[in-house]
Amino acid sequence: MLSRVAESVFWLARYMERTNGLLRVLRTNYVASQDEMKEYNWRSVLQTYGYLNPAQIAKIEYDSRAVLQYVLLDRNNDASLINNITRARENAKAVQDHITKEMWHNLNAYYLLIREPQIEQTVKYGDPLTALDALLKHGLFLYGTITMTMTRGEAYNFLNVGQYLERAIISTDVTDIKLKEVGYDLKHEAMLPSLRYLLFSLSGYETYLKSSKGVVECESIMKQVLYNQDFVHSILYCMEHIDRYFKRLHLQSISESYQPVQFLIGKGLSNLKYSSCNLKDGASIKSLLVQTRKDLQQISRALNTNYFGYT
Amino acid sequence: MMPPKIMESYHTQADVWDELMSEKGVRESYHHLVKTIDTLPAEELDNKDELAKKLFMTQGITFTVYSDNEGVEKIFPFDIIPRIIEAREWAIIEAGISQRLKALNIFLKDIYHQQFIIKDGIIPAKLIYSCPLFLREMINVDVPFDIYSHISGIDLIRDADGSFYVLEDNLRTPSGVSYMLENRSITFRIFPDLIPRNNVRRVIEYPSLLLQNLMGLANRQTSNPTVVLLTPGVYNSAYFEHTTLARLMGIELVEGRDLVVENHHVYMKTTRGLQKVDVIYRRVDDDFIDPLTFRPDSVLGVPGIYWAYRKGNVAIVNAMGNGVADDKAVYSYVPEMIRYYLNEEPILKNVPTYELNVPENRSMVFANMDKMVVKKTNESGGYGMLMGNKATPEEMEAYKKAILEDPRNFIAQPIINLSSSPCYINGKLQPRRVDLRPFALYGPEGIKIVPGGLTRVALREGSLVVNSSQGGGSKDTWVLGS
Repeated sequence: MLSRVAESVFWLARYMERTNGLLRVLRTNYVASQDEMKEYNWRSVLQTYGYLNPAQIAKIEYDSRAVLQYVLLDRNNDASLINNITRARENAKAVQDHITKEMWHNLNAYYLLIREPQIEQTVKYGDPLTALDALLKHGLFLYGTITMTMTRGEAYNFLNVGQYLERAIISTDVTDIKLKEVGYDLKHEAMLPSLRYLLFSLSGYETYLKSSKGVVECESIMKQVLYNQDFVHSILYCMEHIDRYFKRLHLQSISESYQPVQFLIGKGLSNLKYSSCNLKDGASIKSLLVQTRKDLQQISRALNTNYFGYT
Repeated sequence: MMPPKIMESYHTQADVWDELMSEKGVRESYHHLVKTIDTLPAEELDNKDELAKKLFMTQGITFTVYSDNEGVEKIFPFDIIPRIIEAREWAIIEAGISQRLKALNIFLKDIYHQQFIIKDGIIPAKLIYSCPLFLREMINVDVPFDIYSHISGIDLIRDADGSFYVLEDNLRTPSGVSYMLENRSITFRIFPDLIPRNNVRRVIEYPSLLLQNLMGLANRQTSNPTVVLLTPGVYNSAYFEHTTLARLMGIELVEGRDLVVENHHVYMKTTRGLQKVDVIYRRVDDDFIDPLTFRPDSVLGVPGIYWAYRKGNVAIVNAMGNGVADDKAVYSYVPEMIRYYLNEEPILKNVPTYELNVPENRSMVFANMDKMVVKKTNESGGYGMLMGNKATPEEMEAYKKAILEDPRNFIAQPIINLSSSPCYINGKLQPRRVDLRPFALYGPEGIKIVPGGLTRVALREGSLVVNSSQGGGSKDTWVLGS
């Protein structure tokens, strides 16, 4: 496979996963904003998914619709959903001969959907959840199409490496954001509601309820988010899948490229799996999250250098 | 056949061949189609028109127009009513194009080697050497199987008497074949069962025929050649076509930056290291293909590829330097070429063409400019063209001035009444002017022409310009089996 194609496939998957992650975060925050006794503050979302200065943030941080418009549909916001989908489509456009026709049609339809005036109308004047759900549903449809139509070859493996790498980054970042909101103080009164929304954002609330019998408790939530091997958004699950799909590239790789990346994936996985993180201690969790983020960045850089032709 | 209801508003023009209607009524080849349309409820054609647009859009058969930092997706306008060509008409087209291509290929081989055609006084040397698309770099370069134009698009039009004329030859990087394929796949969605009932010949074989030809061009020592399609990139307006062809042939779609030349061999940069490339179907123009030999500012090409080609280490399709054979001034000599090289009479006629570097031609054209179309010899896509019957006196004066400054750069032709074909516009069938671009593949096994082609249509009422850049669209083209 061409290095350029491998890179495009990898980034296509990252942008799609970013889109999915962003939609879940927005949905959770929007639901939270409607469930608040006082006006809901969107500052942390705006800081993470936008480029506004403090004065601009202050202007809209209590206005849910304005925030949704900015994060979903503003083309001037580099991190907006519409830009993510556009970039995913542009990458797909450049590798149409390596993805299935169904996948391309689906991604193209996603791009057309976000540009539909109806979506903007709904966000501006209607029920924003309807728009968010329509977009989420289409994203899931796309994942299904990939699973059902893509050959399990090099392109599929790069897609998955990109997808799980991005998901690991999102899970790490979203956890960090939620813990930062309470200053990494696990005993803070807002801690549990904050962690509940963390689970919502990562689609893990139902999984958590089943295993915890309804008790919302910090240590077990962190355990699920970090280490649960059956929870598809846990960081360990993602790291193991990066490892799994990267190993499948072994036969199509040259040893000088494969070894350095495999080493970093193994190192990152070990750092996470065998860490002595104390899940009752905020500082210990923070240090693990920082280390994990660093490991993920190194893997991404190593892929750039060894597979995508950046020297 | 009695005129059906749908035909009541269809009015053909005098002195224009209509593809659907003859003086006696609906032509036999259109009977099934007209009957089907006539039985549809009034709003159904509108629905089909909408469905076609939606299918093009959702399948991403679009090109992107960039403005204000935002890409707008556009579709190449498509008319839902197919154009039908009878088997006996196709037989003439097929024979005529094969004959023409044989002669043009021999001409290219000759002009880049011994130049007998110049020495024998058939074509003036000045005409060849003044052609900017004549590449001195191709002199004495041997190309595989002596084939230069592997993929050609020959534009045909039909005059009032129904006979076909060649309007121009496209021997460099002709585009539009993906629309031939997609138009067909859209037609069977909007008119289910109609294609088999009409005994329409298939066009789907085009990609496999092309791939066979490309593989056949590889160095004979290679049992499993690597064939790639070289595209200028995603911003090229024909990018959809490049990606469609690469996908349908199962070959890599590469950009210039994906290729590298080492020791006069071409390689592509893959995740497994460098992989040797044997055949390149390029959709990058000659000028841009190698910055070391041609335009030094080109970033679309591959440095050193010309020498790899010259040494025979890689086959490039179409060959470089073909532009000299589809120059609009050289075009007028094609009938002579056919007589000279093949000792045959041309099957397809040329449109009478006046070279404007001949003073007598110039005076005649200037005196009758309102009946002429003036074209620049090296432009295409409907650019650099003056339709005399539509031009203002100021436009005519500007052209006259430009012609006097560089007469070699212009030719003139009488305005030919292109044939008309029914189009579904504003809720009714209306005649609009069409041309036809069949695609011919010339490989080691000979010339094959896929039964069909791209029918381009001038959607504006009264217009004779079918180019997409000038408001043209396309329609499916059915060639009927015998």
